[in-house]
Amino acid sequence: MSKLGALQQAFQAYVLHADDAMRQEVASTPQASAEIRLDIYASAYRLRLIEALQTEYTALHAALGDEAFEQLCMAYLDAHPSSYRNLRWFGGDLSVFLRTTPPYADTPILAELAAFEWAMGLAFDAADAPSLSLSEIAAVPGAAWPAMSFQAHPAVHRLDLHSNAPLLWKAVDAEDDPPPATHATHPIAWVVWRQDLRIFFRSMAVDEAWAFDALRRGATFADICAGLCEWISELQVAQHAAGLLKGWVESGMLWRVYSEAGHDASRH
Amino acid sequence: MPHSEQSLLQAPLGFGLGLRIPHYETILQTRPAVDWFEVLSENYMVPGGKPLYYLDRIRALYPIVMHGVSLSIGSSDPLNRDYLKQLKALAQRIEPRWISDHLCWTGVENVNLHDLMPLPYTEEALRHVVARVGEVQDILGRRLLLENVSSYIGYTQSEMSEWVFLREVAQQADCLILLDINNIYVSGFNHGFDPAEYIDAIPVNRVQQFHLAGHRNQGDYIIDTHDEPIIDPVWALYAHALRRFGPVSTMIERDDNIPALDELLAELDQARHVARQAHAQPAVA
Repeated sequence: MSKLGALQQAFQAYVLHADDAMRQEVASTPQASAEIRLDIYASAYRLRLIEALQTEYTALHAALGDEAFEQLCMAYLDAHPSSYRNLRWFGGDLSVFLRTTPPYADTPILAELAAFEWAMGLAFDAADAPSLSLSEIAAVPGAAWPAMSFQAHPAVHRLDLHSNAPLLWKAVDAEDDPPPATHATHPIAWVVWRQDLRIFFRSMAVDEAWAFDALRRGATFADICAGLCEWISELQVAQHAAGLLKGWVESGMLWRVYSEAGHDASRH
Repeated sequence: MPHSEQSLLQAPLGFGLGLRIPHYETILQTRPAVDWFEVLSENYMVPGGKPLYYLDRIRALYPIVMHGVSLSIGSSDPLNRDYLKQLKALAQRIEPRWISDHLCWTGVENVNLHDLMPLPYTEEALRHVVARVGEVQDILGRRLLLENVSSYIGYTQSEMSEWVFLREVAQQADCLILLDINNIYVSGFNHGFDPAEYIDAIPVNRVQQFHLAGHRNQGDYIIDTHDEPIIDPVWALYAHALRRFGPVSTMIERDDNIPALDELLAELDQARHVARQAHAQPAVA
């Protein structure tokens, strides 16, 4: 290894684990010892990465309080040193960390709150794409509707949550008292999306969530109608599916419509 | 004479600010008298949404330069090609007047410390950086500006001063310099060198841009925090640099404790005032 490489490894080991080897590489002065000087880097590293997590996870921070949030950040930082060039992505594994690491795993709402906040962050700077308009769907001939399929907008994210994490986030955002955490046996479906640069979220009924997930997997309108028959009578299912579709389009959740396999009928 | 070999340099842009999120709307609504904006490249290396929405609009109104923090030009890790690809794609989108990063390393073994770690000033590090700047400039298809960082440690293995190292990198790699006046002051305090000696050793024909910023004096050392107004000794050093280098594109960095835009505009006016006075005075022999 090069001398430069060895020095950088030693310095990094000091910042990450306070490894002593680096001290002899640094000049002490009457003003400040080598240790004080190295510690400027070590503490700045922690403060900077904690601040990055605070920015991404404001509700989780509020739910845990300063001290516990900082403890969580330190534990996460030890387990997941950043390998990203952009600090923006550093917190992406926090939800999985919370779900799988004691004692956090004992409080499932923490992992769900992190997943929800991360999804909102992803929606915030997801790729730009024009939203599908109702007129674009209306232009698809009736005979082609059964084979019609769609692509969701890149900013759309779906979550299934057992807890009331989104309500907790909402309370923190509004600076209201947070509601007590709840945990349901069956998860509730949520969707997060962006419309005109604003982030929205709402829950979905079980049939709507199934239909939307099917749409995202590339199901045709006919497939979606057939699947919805589990909840809706066959006579009403086409109208119900069209209603769901209209709602998604009006919210800006869809990007493209294909009038038959592979044929993009979007006008944008 | 300053700028006697001006061919390497672009014409000065005047007085700029760092583009920061709290000011986006004010900038679009009031079109303040800022000559140009510097953007942090990584903040816009995202797929889309608000950051790029505002950048596209502001760049239509003002010249933009790109300033990165993650190139890690001095790291012993291989250059990150994916990062460079994204950097180049952003440059193609926003057509910056120039692209800068720091003369530092940010991590090894695929870890990013998200900090500007100082290099040892050795012949080995010099050769390493010079070769890599060449590669980066080939990829970007333009000269890179490298900025001197604030530092809190000095390596026992350093073989030359920071200013000789910076000068040699610029001349051997044929790159340009973003001279951070505040960082020279901070490092001068932390390591006990004369900031004026540093400035006087930097080649006039390589300095494309100046940075100014505030910092925190902790007594025994100074931390480069960019969260305070610029202090008088840094203004004096700026005047000294202007007398050596002539007019150089100057910008104020504020990254924390970000005040209303008006406050930064007033500080920018102070930079204009210092520059007018410095240029009116004869160069110090």
